[in-house]
Amino acid sequence: MESMLELTGIYKSFGDNQVLRGIDLVVDKGEVVAVLGPSGSGKSTMLRCINHLETIDKGSIHIKGKALVEGGIYVDESQQQQVLSATGMVFQQFNLFPHMTVLENLIEAPIYVKGIAKEEAVNIAENLLNKVGLIEVKDRYPARLSGGQQQRVAIARALAMNPDIMLFDEPTSALDPELTGEVLKTMRELAAEHMTMIVVTHEMSFARDAASRVIFMAGGVIVEENVPEEFFNNPREDRTKAFLMRNN
Amino acid sequence: MDKFFDMTVLIAQGAAVTLEIFVVTLILSLPIGALAALGRLSTFKPLRYIMEFYVWIMRGTPLMLQLLFVYFALPMIGLKLPDIAAALLAFTLNYAAYFAEIFRAGIQAIPRGQFEAARVLGLPHWHTMKRIVFPQVLRIVLPPISNETINLVKDTSLIYILAMNDLLRVARTIVQREFDMTPFVIAGIFYLTMTAVLTWAFKQLEAHYGKYDA
Ligand SMILES: Nc1ncnc2c1ncn2[C@@H]1O[C@H](COP(=O)(O)OP(=O)(O)OP(=O)(O)O)[C@@H](O)[C@H]1O
Ligand SMILES: [Mg+2]
Repeated sequence: MESMLELTGIYKSFGDNQVLRGIDLVVDKGEVVAVLGPSGSGKSTMLRCINHLETIDKGSIHIKGKALVEGGIYVDESQQQQVLSATGMVFQQFNLFPHMTVLENLIEAPIYVKGIAKEEAVNIAENLLNKVGLIEVKDRYPARLSGGQQQRVAIARALAMNPDIMLFDEPTSALDPELTGEVLKTMRELAAEHMTMIVVTHEMSFARDAASRVIFMAGGVIVEENVPEEFFNNPREDRTKAFLMRNN
Repeated sequence: MDKFFDMTVLIAQGAAVTLEIFVVTLILSLPIGALAALGRLSTFKPLRYIMEFYVWIMRGTPLMLQLLFVYFALPMIGLKLPDIAAALLAFTLNYAAYFAEIFRAGIQAIPRGQFEAARVLGLPHWHTMKRIVFPQVLRIVLPPISNETINLVKDTSLIYILAMNDLLRVARTIVQREFDMTPFVIAGIFYLTMTAVLTWAFKQLEAHYGKYDA
């Protein structure tokens, strides 16, 4: 199995708040890893370290075998760009560009970062919008869409860069309950196509039946990990059991 | 009727002076204000403090005082500027400070998520500023800039005290000579026309840049 992502001994603090205290994680190609854990346990921080939205203090990160940071030392700027181009991210708050139409949101980076011709970028974008069922709103501005539609556009925007690994930080937490389904459906379809995904979520049902592995974080470390069935039916650690009791 | 026509021509010449101050001040103070805003948001502390001090002085003292200072006090230390340059210097420094505050608030209103979204897509910093941040800032700052711009039209009348023949001064000179109030009415119409044109222009701009609102 080819490893897509390797985190080794990741430490990260904000001031004197030790948020990550030694994270080790290997994610293989095609895996869907659900990350669970109480608020403040460092789930978002871990995700944000992977694509260098946060800078780690100690440890190594390899993406597709190439170093982003090794022993706490980051590779140079252009190499980082190259390594990170394999990642895509979906945020809790969508973060679509409000002054651009749906289509413009999707083609901006492919054209300016990858240097793809506009026609081709539009083609790719339209295919992706078809896939997430939003081709009919391609000329609308984000403010005219529902939250669920906005998040599906955000997923399509990330996919337009053709990433090998997708990071999701609570993609349904900002949505009204009746809108989470359509976003989870899109994510399930992505998982079915063997996209490598790391999904921080509170959606137990998604972790249970769409993930290939579940990771439970608490206090800045990975407390327990397992295949979903084992994780939910036979949790080993007390903190995991307590968390599952509260969230089921 | 002839007399009315003559008055209007004289006042129009004054209006040209007013317009010159207005246009030049606007063209200079907008970019200076934008740069000052970046200075105020800089992580380089000395620059930030200098910009804060500058904005504090300019917004905390009357424009009239600043005009008099540039006009009368600077020559005492050997810095004698031509009349129009002195007026432009005072107006530009003052308005740039107000614009700086507007731009600063506008940039700070852009959510961090916009920068992060651009970053994870691999967009370079300058591109993010130009294509993602600036258009959104523009949308936010247009209404307050519109306000300040209309204030500037009216504030130009302060150069009256510097004995420059602007719209207001020409009107008053004729009133004093002819004992006739008509020039004031004509001057008022000139000011109203300018502010009306500006109001209309800013409305168009706001509609253009606001088309993405819900
Ligand atoms: N930019 C930051 N500056 C300072 N402290 C931060 C920053 N980001 C996160 N933290 C702190 O790090 C800790 C972990 O935060 P993180 O967002 O990773 O938790 P989380 O597991 O994602 O929680 P949640 O479920 O609430 O999203 C918290 O104590 C938080 O206050
Ligand atoms: Mg979080």
